[in-house]
Amino acid sequence: MNEHRSNPLVRYSVDNPKIITWMMSLSTLLLILLALMPTLWPGTFNILNPLRVDTDPENMLSIDEPVRVFHNESKQTFTLRDMVVIGVVNPKHPEGVFNPASLQHIHELTEFAKTLTWPDPEHPGKQMGVVEVDILAPSVVDNIEQGGMGVVNFSWLMPKPPTTQERALAVREKAQRIPLLNGTVVSEDGLAIALYLPLTDKDLSYQVREALLEKIATWEGSGDEFHITGLPVAEDTFGVEMFYQMAISAPLAMLVIFLLLWWFFKKLSLVTAPMILAMVCSLTTMALLIISGNTIHIMSSMIPIFIMPIAVLDAIHILSDFFDEYQKRKDRRETILYVMQHLFTPMLFTTLTTMAGFASLLMTPIPPVQTFGLFISIGVFLAWFWTIIFIPAFIMFIPEEKLANFGHQTDDAQDTGLMSRLLSASGQSIYRHARWVLIGTGIAMVVGLYGISQININDNPIKWFDTDHPIRVADKVLNEHFGGTYLAYLELAPGESTNTLAAYAQGMQQRIKTQGNRLAEEGIPNSDPVFEQLAEQAVSAVSTAQNKTGLLAVLDDYINKQLDSVTDEMFDAWDEAQLFVDSERQRDETFKQPEVLRYISGLQTYLASLDVVGKSSSVADVVKTVYRELLMGKDDAFRIPDSANAVAQTLITYQNSHRPQDLWHFVTPDYRKATVLVQLTSGDNQDMAYVEAQVKRYFQDNPPPIALSHRWFGLTYINVIWQDKMVAGMAVALAGSFVVVLVMMIVLFRSFLWGLLAMIPLTVTVWVIYGVIGLIGKDYDMPVAVLSALSLGLAVDYAIHFLSRSRQLQREHGHWRDTIAYVFAEPARAITRNAIVVGCGFLPLLAAPLVPYQTVGIFIAAILLLAGIASLLILPALITLLEPYLFRKKVGG
Amino acid sequence: MHILNLLIALPLLAASAVATALPTVNEIVNHSNMITYYQGQDGRAQIKMTITDSQGRKRQRRLTILRIDDAKSDAVEGQAYLGGQKFYVYFHRPADVSKMAFLVWKHLDQDDDRWLYLPALDLVKRIAASDKRTSFVGSDFFYEDVSGRRLDEDTHELVETTKSYYVIKNTPKDAAGVEFSYYKMFIHKKSFIPVQVEYYDKAGVKYRVAKALGVKTIQGYPTVTRAAIENLKTGSTTVMEYSRVEYDIGLDDALFTERYLRKAPRKQLR
Repeated sequence: MNEHRSNPLVRYSVDNPKIITWMMSLSTLLLILLALMPTLWPGTFNILNPLRVDTDPENMLSIDEPVRVFHNESKQTFTLRDMVVIGVVNPKHPEGVFNPASLQHIHELTEFAKTLTWPDPEHPGKQMGVVEVDILAPSVVDNIEQGGMGVVNFSWLMPKPPTTQERALAVREKAQRIPLLNGTVVSEDGLAIALYLPLTDKDLSYQVREALLEKIATWEGSGDEFHITGLPVAEDTFGVEMFYQMAISAPLAMLVIFLLLWWFFKKLSLVTAPMILAMVCSLTTMALLIISGNTIHIMSSMIPIFIMPIAVLDAIHILSDFFDEYQKRKDRRETILYVMQHLFTPMLFTTLTTMAGFASLLMTPIPPVQTFGLFISIGVFLAWFWTIIFIPAFIMFIPEEKLANFGHQTDDAQDTGLMSRLLSASGQSIYRHARWVLIGTGIAMVVGLYGISQININDNPIKWFDTDHPIRVADKVLNEHFGGTYLAYLELAPGESTNTLAAYAQGMQQRIKTQGNRLAEEGIPNSDPVFEQLAEQAVSAVSTAQNKTGLLAVLDDYINKQLDSVTDEMFDAWDEAQLFVDSERQRDETFKQPEVLRYISGLQTYLASLDVVGKSSSVADVVKTVYRELLMGKDDAFRIPDSANAVAQTLITYQNSHRPQDLWHFVTPDYRKATVLVQLTSGDNQDMAYVEAQVKRYFQDNPPPIALSHRWFGLTYINVIWQDKMVAGMAVALAGSFVVVLVMMIVLFRSFLWGLLAMIPLTVTVWVIYGVIGLIGKDYDMPVAVLSALSLGLAVDYAIHFLSRSRQLQREHGHWRDTIAYVFAEPARAITRNAIVVGCGFLPLLAAPLVPYQTVGIFIAAILLLAGIASLLILPALITLLEPYLFRKKVGG
Repeated sequence: MHILNLLIALPLLAASAVATALPTVNEIVNHSNMITYYQGQDGRAQIKMTITDSQGRKRQRRLTILRIDDAKSDAVEGQAYLGGQKFYVYFHRPADVSKMAFLVWKHLDQDDDRWLYLPALDLVKRIAASDKRTSFVGSDFFYEDVSGRRLDEDTHELVETTKSYYVIKNTPKDAAGVEFSYYKMFIHKKSFIPVQVEYYDKAGVKYRVAKALGVKTIQGYPTVTRAAIENLKTGSTTVMEYSRVEYDIGLDDALFTERYLRKAPRKQLR
């Protein structure tokens, strides 16, 4: 053993184990303290970042992402808020909740919900919590109906709970006649009611939900079932379960790794070293995450469980080698220095490739995924750093006599352990049947290719919860009864006008003439001369005005001057002139125009024909409903009236209600923008994407009467956008990490062929795993996408170890035929142990209550185990066949 | 402060006589009610209504209101001023609702009668008006703010007398029929104009504030010429500016009938 060839850092730690241990302990404690201080003593350490939890799926996109900016702007434009939804059903009553007792509860719950506001500490004088004025519930929405001979009646739908069954049914009948309520507040099957509680801030949903649950608990046994859901509730619940995942799965992973290591190495004291490493690395990485001001998010909450198995990887290699070498030397210092010397380069490279794999996630446009990749990279680096200095230091603490019975007592060749025998036998058999191994691999690849072609790209945040989770149950119940609880909004706005000012002025001249004639017929005195004067003014104003608004302003000024000084006989005519100018201005109020509203209605009819759309609502529904009731409630009057004035007058009638502000959820007060609220029965991204594509085609096939732009917003739509970005981003990340790892391999082995060889097992692995995903019909969702890029860097480890040891051993033994036996001894055992420990280390994620974590757990375990197997099968088979090319130069050297 | 605080009931002499002795709660609310809704035998005002929502988006309306009283007296004593009233509300702008008209017959002993004329639909419609706390044409004013709330619907309590104001707390007798739990009026001691009215919801939180922003004496009647109501829950505010206010113009009772909805009295509305 040549002392001088060993790494100085390693030598230092072997000689100063106490200093190394202190260094690691102190730095870890310091970081943890820095991370926790601002949270434990708020306000004291203002320069430090406190722990922040982020459960908002919107944050999958960066804050300045155009679709998100537009989403937030539109939410404000139409005063739309995040809502807690309470679905109420009563399976015991034949009429569902339409019975006096249930409606009494619903009424009481609504009144109770109104009180769920609290003084806002950040805005003194303001309240936060449930926004009473926008609650949707039977007792707080308006009904419009016939009130006897020629009378139309506007009143609360359910001012107080009905006392008889008959009246309870009347509430249902009334509500179902109003399109805005039917399928939204009252279910189309007439059995359920949904209450919608908008929140000033979605962070209050937990508080609101808790209060509601307490209230609801008092009606236990009444037969009424209350399902509380809505996106904010889902998010809060997600946040809670995220911590559950971290608190349960991560320690469980520790335990599994610990038990496996103990089983492999039998020496408790030695096995504690990697466990300490795993703890140190996950804690410091999380501390760094918090200190740097990042949030605990669905992605970053998985960091500890990723760091843990990776952190022990290198330690296992060292211990495994130490285990095998110690009995040959019987000297811990000499053994560890020897082990470290020949493991140093492969460990450095496996670390670099793993870091590259995770760092490739920085190429995705999804901020939480970037953070996840970056911090795991950092954690992997820390793991490597502490491994190479702490593990040797730790070994130095173990007295020599305690190691006396440690490790392999016998020579490799005669090893009798089951794993050793199996491995050694496979080595021989692969050498003999190399061709068959490769043919088998080829078949697997072909099947995999077919599977990949079947991959279905889809995600649905609600499905992140287990099927028996209250959120999923509520989701199911509500979507069975109602028009769909997944909301997407289609914003409509007039497109750029192509009309020139001259063309407009020409049209206006025509209208001045028509209106002048009409007024003359009506007998408005002096309307002829006044409108002639108006026409002349319009001609001269065109030359000076910049645009339509300017032109009308000039005319308005002129008329106002006339009105100030006119005689009584002229007043009415000039007043009509002014009215005319105002009506010209109102021609820009796009969403009062009957042809536009009819177009929207047509679009809604089309939407309703799509399977996944339960219902849609728009200002057109408001107009049609009120118009029908104004015309005696006759069904054939359920239509858009024929003039913009009639629409305006219908709408102002509607606004004589308790809730005039409801209109502004559908249209802006200037009538230049409108939304169609689309309720989807499924939150699957592919369903939203389908609706989006169909609507696009509808606009192409059915051009609107005036140019209309349409643009989607709403969380259901945002999910589609980030999924698209994710898929595209992952393809880039995957390609990027492949190239980076390949280059590293070429540098490591100083050979293109060897570099390429190292890439083969993991390529086959990822290929086959994704083929399996396609074959079993598992959706390609967020976790599956993230796994592709990072698994490259992780799975290449086995190939690196296998190939570098193969090369070393080939140098010693000369012929692959002989070498393979040695490769399938200690190196193969280390790889197998590693694959089992790391693969199984991720399995505790299956205990997490959230589906994405389970997916990550099962797939990463599968990838790592398969990569281990692939490395041990394909690489020796290839080397067997390519031996002349691979070792050509080496023979001479 | 309300739309139709059009006329002064009392000659100023009588007003000052009342002010010298400390009035009872009933005298205060009666006097204030008269000043706000019953001054003169009839009246007219042009109104510019500006509705500003929480985002600062403005909508403007121009309308004219005509009013005529059944009672032929303005005397507060013995509530001689109190009686039925009729209102004619006519829309000028925006253009698409111009010529739209409302007719309200306010009764003290039964639900009001309300008619609506929609010219573009060529339709006169009776509107059931059991609930008067609904929006007046989409503004933050309620019908009840326009035509007045009956005094006997609330119990009144003088909770404070400041240098300039009587502070009256009004609690509804039928709490289920209204959305407030009580409202406080700040009634100016000299003019009896309710300068500020604050509404509190069932949780005791102030959610609605009405303010008189400008007062002028017209034909001897103290008249609010600028009034605002802010809805603290929606963040919306409506300001009404009154112009061309006139009292005792001798309006014909016949104008306040369904017939004149379709055939607006242009001259009186100008």
